[in-house]
Order: sequence, then structure tokens, then C-alpha cells
Amino acid sequence: MFPSRLRRAGVAAVAVVLTGSLAACADSDDGAGGGAAAGGGTYAFWDPYPQFDDSSAWVQLVKSCGTKAGVTVERTGYDTSDLTNKTLLAAQQGSAPDVVVIDNPVISTLASAGVLTTTDELKLDTAAFAPNITAAGVVDGKTYGVPIGANTLALYYNADVLAAAKVDPASVTSWATLNDALAKVTAAGKKGITFSGIGTEEGSFQFLPWFWGAGADLEDVASPAAVSAVDLWTGWLKDGYAPNSVITNTQTTAWQEFETGEYAFVENGTWQLANAEKSGLKYGVIPIPAKDGGTAPAPTGGEFVAATVQEDTSRYAVSGKIVDCLTSPENLMATDTTLSYIAPIDSVQQEQVAKDPKLEPWVAAVGAAKGRTSDNLGTNYPIISEQLWGAFQKALSGSASAQDALTAAQQAAAAKVK
Amino acid sequence: MSRRRNGVRTAAGVVLTAMMLFPVYWMVNVSLTRAPDMRRDPPYLVPLHPTFSGYEAVLHDQLPYLGTSLAIGLGTVALTLAVAAPAAYALALLRPRGSAPVGFVLIIAQMIPGITMAMGFYAIFVSAGIVNTWWGLVIADSTLAVPFAVLILTAFMSGIPRELLAAATVDGAGPWRTFGSIVLPISRNAVVTVSLFAFLWAWSDFIFASTLDSGGTRRPITLGIYKYIGNNNQEWNSIMATAVVASLPAAVLLVVAQRYVAAGVTAGAVKD
Amino acid sequence: MSRTRTDATSGMRTDATSGMSTVWHRSRLSRPVPHRARKSGRRGGLPEQVSGWVWLLPVVGYLLAFYAYPLYRNVELSLKDYTVRSFVTGDAPFIGLDNFRDVVADPLFGPALWHTAIFTLVSIAFQYTIGLALAVFFHRNFRLSAVLRALFLVPWLLPLVVSASTWSWMLNSDSGIVNACLEALGLPQVNWLTSPTWSLVAVIVANVWIGIPFNLVILYGGLQNIPQDLDEAAALDGAGGWTTFRHVTFPLLRPVSAVTILLGLVYTLKVFDVIWVMTRGGPGTSSTTLTIWSYRQSFGSLLPRFGPGAAISNILIVVAFAVGLGYVVVQRRQDAA
Repeated sequence: MFPSRLRRAGVAAVAVVLTGSLAACADSDDGAGGGAAAGGGTYAFWDPYPQFDDSSAWVQLVKSCGTKAGVTVERTGYDTSDLTNKTLLAAQQGSAPDVVVIDNPVISTLASAGVLTTTDELKLDTAAFAPNITAAGVVDGKTYGVPIGANTLALYYNADVLAAAKVDPASVTSWATLNDALAKVTAAGKKGITFSGIGTEEGSFQFLPWFWGAGADLEDVASPAAVSAVDLWTGWLKDGYAPNSVITNTQTTAWQEFETGEYAFVENGTWQLANAEKSGLKYGVIPIPAKDGGTAPAPTGGEFVAATVQEDTSRYAVSGKIVDCLTSPENLMATDTTLSYIAPIDSVQQEQVAKDPKLEPWVAAVGAAKGRTSDNLGTNYPIISEQLWGAFQKALSGSASAQDALTAAQQAAAAKVK
Repeated sequence: MSRRRNGVRTAAGVVLTAMMLFPVYWMVNVSLTRAPDMRRDPPYLVPLHPTFSGYEAVLHDQLPYLGTSLAIGLGTVALTLAVAAPAAYALALLRPRGSAPVGFVLIIAQMIPGITMAMGFYAIFVSAGIVNTWWGLVIADSTLAVPFAVLILTAFMSGIPRELLAAATVDGAGPWRTFGSIVLPISRNAVVTVSLFAFLWAWSDFIFASTLDSGGTRRPITLGIYKYIGNNNQEWNSIMATAVVASLPAAVLLVVAQRYVAAGVTAGAVKD
Repeated sequence: MSRTRTDATSGMRTDATSGMSTVWHRSRLSRPVPHRARKSGRRGGLPEQVSGWVWLLPVVGYLLAFYAYPLYRNVELSLKDYTVRSFVTGDAPFIGLDNFRDVVADPLFGPALWHTAIFTLVSIAFQYTIGLALAVFFHRNFRLSAVLRALFLVPWLLPLVVSASTWSWMLNSDSGIVNACLEALGLPQVNWLTSPTWSLVAVIVANVWIGIPFNLVILYGGLQNIPQDLDEAAALDGAGGWTTFRHVTFPLLRPVSAVTILLGLVYTLKVFDVIWVMTRGGPGTSSTTLTIWSYRQSFGSLLPRFGPGAAISNILIVVAFAVGLGYVVVQRRQDAA
């Protein structure tokens, strides 16, 4: 009497059973990676590395740090751009993870939200860590996390393209010499430089070496030095040294453009080293030149490990142990190699260079780098950064002059910062 | 219609479809492209140096996600129908006093942005303890489909001839019986259409999955792409390969269901 | 309009068997309690009323649980001064309409409103017309028409993130296939995603592509419901294809069209993924709509500002509400005619 309905229900039931079994297969896979359950309870751990699953070295390390501290660690990987808000939402609901690995410019945001504990509360000592890297996690004199590694930006160059244009990479030491090199490369028929100028934090990240290299300061983004930095970028577009796509390029896209072999330079970071090797291109690395010579300070990338505020403060002892374990010199070597980061501790940096001499320019670059939220900018940094990327986007796309865009940005930022 | 005209129409149809589906072809093209060729200027129209590494990665990593997506899709269909069909019946045929505004509210309900809903759900789910469960996601995804389902089913059921329903009442059937034995079977095509929409919307949902289930052990395919999105790196051929593989089951479903709906056009449940 | 009425009555038989009903104008959505004498004899005393409401309980409960709470939360976020700290602790001071005042006074408000209007109206216009043209095209069954029609829905079942990414690839200034084709045809290259003039056009094109299947499905269903004999009668009367369409088919399609456009408007106002993935609302702010702006405030920077973000999305809901109200008013006026 209800044939069609029954048939539909039957099909649905079969489908549910099938998918249930498919999903069950997934379950057993996930379960295989877990270590032996330790007695002391479960601690939640969030990190921004979703590309690592339970079988990866990173997750194994996290879990083993938990076992060493006598507890089970439940680890989840999220997309880095989601992690801040997820942590905030979770904290609001009282279910923040015990330990969180978070991008360094966000530390001050979470700290000001009262979500993170200080390293003092965790009884951790950060003296061995390089101060320019730790500075990103310092808010009002208190440290809110421990760096797990740092990366920064430099210029990769294509040795073949430069050779064909008769440019010596060692000669690129200032903006003037860089522009000369770009002119020669484009005259020889190749493309000059590519980078990411997208309207997000990634764009600001790529802009800062030029900004700081001109001597500008984030407290005043409309200074003549700042204008010269924006003019450098717009000049490249106008002269055809950089492609139009930089306005929407992410760092990955810029790297893909470089991988076609058509570009002489790309501004990118340590994380591309593995890809550089795989690409088969003859590449080299030089530091980003400052305007009048020398190495421009580049911003530090890389995450911090921090513990969140919990109602049950007795959990801090274990959280502290987990943080300490992850950032101990022995473990840092393995972790930073996997993540393609430079270690934040001197001794480990030496180890890294000894193992892979190609890392030497990067260690130097990290040594000269600066945290974005340092100089006690803290939560003012995101406000300024947003205005900054808006400004260079306008200038790059031609809708405003560099001076006008930056002046507007400075006014807007000054109105909103505290 | 002459055979020639038929042929011309078919040819025109094929061309139009090809134009419409060109971006989909491009997606497949990118999924087979090697990393160095990704930003080639001009791009290859056909993948001249194809690589299957993206598909290898997908088949290796993504099958469990596909299973979860299927479960979520079917669950959403079931929940949507369970909520929407009785409501449509009431709004269209029973029409108790004061029920008309419900339809209007349903239109308004769809206007709330997804992010707003997701944040609200997060609070509810955390209190109820159902964050990071796949079936919690079913509840969230059903909100994508329920208002639409009620609208479609109501409109459809309004068109059911009164004589049929009157005949049933005369026979002594109450509202339940009428619903089960007359209204639902006749509405079969609308029900299939609604189920199709609900399944597809649940299948391709991202915002709810990302907010409510990104930490669970069973995650849908839309989150599966995160395996290929690292901190600073995106593996585009794997991402596009995931998209292609994720689209296949839905495409098959579509072709099958289309025939089902079309069949109803020629069949006649009511004789003149 | 009398034609519509008689057609609807005779059309009822076919409605019952096919996919979509043209009896929208008779649906309960546009009118409250009985306007015309269509008593089914079911509207009776209290027991029937209560039993009727029992059927509605699931959906009403559902609405309250899943729509009322997020909406309340959103309104609350917009009326208080939330910093990240007070977001976590939950004790933000009430500041009334200050967030709304700030948003309206922001120099981005006008452009965002304008971009939203253009984006929505142009998208709908193209989606609807192309969808209608395709529906008419597929209306005459020819070989492969069912398969082709099903294939047309494929764009719609791709996750939006993927469709948007694919279009980004295709519209890339240097390595995109669209510019490669333009170059091959001797036309100048267009900076689709990186030029302030073209960015809005680019996202509209992608959005239209994504929206065509939806319009196609519903309008096709509506077309299938129109009795064949009407077309034949018009043909006998000597009316050509276009005239038949204009004076017979299109008016009959009006109720279905109205719903398609209404739903299309509501969905398009909410569009987010397409624009965010393709341009992030840029370059600068040239493709920023209200939805994008709201997201940017709440989630787009390292320092979330939930108050203004919620205020903007509430303004959007009010705009959508006004549109929905407009639809109902127009419907009632049409029914009264």
C-alpha cells in the first residue's frame, strides 16, 4: 500500500548501513595512531597544522609529551586562520583547549582576551630563547607563550635567469641595485620579481621587510619612508618588473609563479625550501635588501606554544610540562626540521646549520628579524596592519596615490588604536 | 517536430552544456597539473604533462570523509523531510488559524547569514555537548534546507485536488491517514526534489562543518581538503582532485534523480 | 488575470502529478486566512485547530531552537561593546545603537551598500534570464535533453569554495585561460581580479554561473506544469513562438518566477564564499559587499570586532526582510487585482 515509501526507506537503510561501515573504517584508522593511555586524564591540544594526521611525526611527538607528563593528549589540527576564533569561541564556552599552538601575532590578541596564562604561571623559563623571537609573545612585560620556531622572508633567486641576464646575485644589496638587476632581467626577456600583495595579513607580512627596510615605523605609516616603500612596489608594477597578479597572490601562488622558471626573484620563506629542492630549479637565497644597503628586518613567522586559562588551575602543572617538552632543545631539532622553521634557541640553530648548511642564510635572516607585535604594539598591530594592506592594495591597483592611501590609513589607524 | 530540428536542438544543447561546464573541465585540468606548470602563462588547455599525484593522495586520504559526507547528507534529508513534510501539510491543507505567518517567518529565516547561524549553533552545541559529532552537523545542515523544503512542499500540496482529500474524509480517514496514504505519495516528486536539494546543500556545506565538526573523528569531505592546506602551503592539484572526487557521487545522484522527477511528468496519478 | 484563474483550476490536475505547482498564488504564503470561498470543510472547531497546530509543532520548535537563538545572539552582539576580552567573559557594556551609528558613518558603508545592490540585482537579472532561456530551450524534449539538463546542475553541486577557486584560476591576469583566449582573439587583456573596475564584474560572472542551475530547475518545473493545450491553442490562433511566450507562457510562469526571484535575492544577499575566495572584497574595497564587510570585521583580521560585524549583518537581515515584505505586498496586490 505504501510501496514507494517502503522502497525509499529500504534504500535509505541500506545506504546508512553502508556509510556506517565506511565511516567505521575511518575510525579504526584514527585509533591506530594513539599511544598507550596514561593514567592522569585527558588534555586537549590544538595546533594549526591540519596537514599532519595521527601517523605523522608531529602528532606522535605531541602525544609522547603527554605520556611523559602522565596524561593522554587529544590533538586536533585546524586551519590557522580559523584557530584564533575557534579558541575565542571555545574560551567563551569554557571549553578552551589546555594547550594551543598559535601564530605569533595573535598571542597579544588572545592574551588581552584573558585566554592565555603567562610563562610565570606555568613555571617556565624562556631565557634560552632568542629575545627577538620571544618578543612577539610579550605583552606589558609578561610573556604568554614559548616560541616553537621561527621562519622569515628572504629573496629566492633563479640562478639560470640571473646568469642569462648577467646579474650577480651578490651585487643585490640595496633597492637601487635590486632595481638594476630587475631591469637587466626584463631586458633579457624574463620576468623580474613576484611576491604576495594580497589584502590580508599575508600581504602585510610580505610588505614589512620593504617597509622596515626603508626605515619606516608602524607607529606612523604615512611617513616619507613608508611612502617610498609603497612606491617601490608600485614602481615594479608600472615598469613591468612584477606581474599584476601580485595584488591577489598568496605566498603559495607567488611561489608557483616562480616555479615556472620565468622569474628571477620571489620573496618567500623557509617553508619553501623543500619545494625549492623538488622544483629542479637552480636556486639561491639572498637576504632582502634594505633601502640604502644592508639586510632589511623581516617579520617573524612561526608559532608559539601557550597554555590557556582554565578553571581548574591544578592543570597548569601538566600543561607546563607539555609545553616544556615540546620546546626542549632535543625535541625542537626534530620539530623545526619537520616544520621548516629555524629553532628559537642558539644551540639548536647551530645543530640545524651543521646538519643542513643551506639553512645558514635563514638563520642569519631570523637573527635580524622582528616580531610584528613587538615594540609593545600588541593588539594595535592588527589594526595598523589592516589599514596598511588596504593602503598598498589601493596604490597597487591604481585607485589612489601612495601618499594619499597611506595618509588615509594612518588617520584610520590612529582613530582606532588604543 | 522534425528529426532534423531535433538534431539541431541536441547539438545546440551539447554546445551550451559544454560552455556551462567548461569551468568544471578546468577544475579537472588543474587537478592533473604538475606544480611547476600551475602558473604557466599561457596555461595548457589540456594537461600535457599530467600527474596523478593529486588523485593518489585523495584515494589514500579521503575515503572516510566521503563516507561521513554521505551519512550527513542522508541524515539531513531524513531530518528535513521529517520536519518539513508535516509542516507543509498543515500550512497547505489543514490551515489552522494563525498559521499563515509561519510561512513568512520561514522566508525570513533563510536570510540569516551562515556565519551568524554557525556562531549561534556553536554555543548551543557546546552546552548540549554535541560539538564535533557528525550527527550534530546533520541538525545544523538541515537548517539550510528546511525553510526551502517547507515552501516547496506547501506550494505543491496546495495544488492537490480537494476532491481526493474530500473523498478520503468521506471514507472516514483522519488527517494522519490522509497524510500517509494520499498526500505523501502524490507529493512524491516534490519530495524527491526537496531531498535532492537537501542532500546537495548538506554535501557541499563548509561553514557549519568548519565551525562545528572540524575537531571530530568523522568529518565531511569539505573539510578533507585541509589535509592539503598547510600553514603556508596549498597543494592545488590535490585540492582540485578532492573536489573532482567529491563531485562524482553527487553527479551520479543527480542524473538518477532527474529521471525520477521527469517520470512524474508523464505519469498521471489522477484520471480526468 | 481571469485567464490565470481558470488556468489554475484546470491546471490543478496536472499539478498534482508533476514536479512543481503553479498554484503559488493560491499558496498560504501570500495570504492569511480565507480570502475566497475555498472551504474544504476541514476548518472546523477547536479540535481541528489544535490537531492542525500539532503538525506544525516540529517546525515551530525547530525555528525557535535553531533560528531564534542565533538571531538573538547576533542582535545582542551588535548592541553591546564587545572586545575580545568581554567576548570571552561575556560581560560587555550595553551601548545601544552605537555600533550601528559607527557602521553607517563609516566611509565604507555607502560603497558596500552600492556594491551589494549592483551585485545582487545584476546577478539575479542574468541568472533569471539565462535560466529562463535554458528552461524554454529544454522544454521541448529532444534527444539527450534529460541528460544535458542533469549535467547543467553540476556547477551547483560543487562546493562554493571549489567553484570560486576554479574561477580565480581561470580569471588570473597572467596564467588564466580567459585572458589567454582574449589574447588569442586579439583583444586586450583584462585584470579581472586585480583591477578595481573589473573585480565586481568578475565575482558577478562567477556568481551568475553558480546560480543558473537553481533557476533552471525551478523554472523548468514551472514550464512543465503549463498545459500543452494552451500552447497549441495559441498556435492555432496564429501566434508565433515569441508572442506565445510573451502573452501565454510568461504570465502563467509569473508565480513561479516570483518565488525564484525572491529566493534568488535572499540567497544572493548572503553570498560570501565566492567573493571572499576570488578577491577578498578587493582590491582595496572595490568588491566589498555588506556580507564581506561583516565577515572582515568579525573574522578577517587578527583582532576580531564582533560588534560592528554583527551590526552590519543585522542591517543586511533588515534589508532582506524589506525585500521579502515587498514581495508579500506585491503578491497581495496582484491577488486582489
